Amino acid sequence: MPTIKSVVISCAGIGSRLGLGLTKALVKINGRSLISLQLELFKDVEDVRIVVGFQANEIIEEVLKYRKDVTFIFNHRYFETKTGASFYLGARHAHEYVLEWDGDLLVHPDDAKMILNTEGEFICYSEKSSDDSVYVKVNEAGDVLEFSRECGDYEWTGPACFHKSHLQYSSMNVFNMLEPYLPMKGLKIRAYDIDTYNDYQRVSEIMKSWEHES
Amino acid sequence: MKFLFDLDGTVTSVETLPVIAEHFNVQDEIMELTRQTVQGNVPFIESFIKRVGILGKLPVTEINNLLTEVPLYPQLQEFIAKNKEHCVIVTGNLSCWCEGLMKRIGCEYYCSEGQVENDQVVKLKTILRKEQVVDTFKAAGETVVFVGDGNNDLEAMRHADIAIAVGLTHSPAKSLFAITDYLFYNESALCRQLNLLL
Repeated sequence: MPTIKSVVISCAGIGSRLGLGLTKALVKINGRSLISLQLELFKDVEDVRIVVGFQANEIIEEVLKYRKDVTFIFNHRYFETKTGASFYLGARHAHEYVLEWDGDLLVHPDDAKMILNTEGEFICYSEKSSDDSVYVKVNEAGDVLEFSRECGDYEWTGPACFHKSHLQYSSMNVFNMLEPYLPMKGLKIRAYDIDTYNDYQRVSEIMKSWEHES
Repeated sequence: MKFLFDLDGTVTSVETLPVIAEHFNVQDEIMELTRQTVQGNVPFIESFIKRVGILGKLPVTEINNLLTEVPLYPQLQEFIAKNKEHCVIVTGNLSCWCEGLMKRIGCEYYCSEGQVENDQVVKLKTILRKEQVVDTFKAAGETVVFVGDGNNDLEAMRHADIAIAVGLTHSPAKSLFAITDYLFYNESALCRQLNLLL
């Protein structure tokens, strides 16, 4: 049995770059909300923690359609802070190991299973696919050596798994919280961020191809 | 660490005043007032004075016996029983009405007080301000967690170190969404978090 992990899904953001006037968790991909797709990946996880901010009421309503035993956590300062703050709030009173999962990330279901079964701390990355992203530099073993805005071997998409002793408040991004602890074990996964409308359109097609595979 | 709990609809799985009202057949007056109060449409103190005005004429002993039997959320009851020294019930309810229930729950408690004569509440002596209980524990150096569901818990939650809103019996007052740290709709998830906070 893998160690009990808490999963923190950060859904507090405004989603302004996407331009659909919706927080990203509520965006529909092929007819299903992103948050409902994520909840399906975590149906066997006991401690699912959802950080809400912008459109909290609507996200809560949507989540409650699928399960009621989640922990909702409010990031009241979502406008001034980034994902690091949401993750901190979601993780500070969680289990010892906490999996950080962006609300706007679509991960292949097989890779999601692998992530949930992986022990200890790790950082996930994917093949480069977005225009405006943060990259990781890795060694031969695939361990993450560095995050970079300019260049790298892969794209940092998350998720990442932290031990709570490494959790410190940051109003910045999750990768800034990880930087002091590098190098860290890396896992290559199939994952796509949804930041822009182009990402959104592409992800809809990718989802269809994944469904076709299974 | 102190866990302060609202009583009605948070630890009890039903609201207590409607139970009294139904038993004595005065539910029409009480139900509407309770609903409006929980939603924050009638100020709590005004509503409480009105409710005691209606229910105070009823026999105190019978109300106390009735409330002693009110159903509790079983996992929360167990959490409180196991961690008595950390748990406190903080309720606007009158102590003369809920002494039996408090004995059953078994932890420290704070209530409003009424003057009882001839088995009736003749006068309202104090109305509990929940935030003052929070402040007292904080001043004593405790980290205070407040768990509540109604608009009358808002100030206590704002003063607490960690605020937990719950929607176990009915939807939590929407006003709590602006200040709460946590929100739960499920008893197991709530108890899991309480244990993680211990």
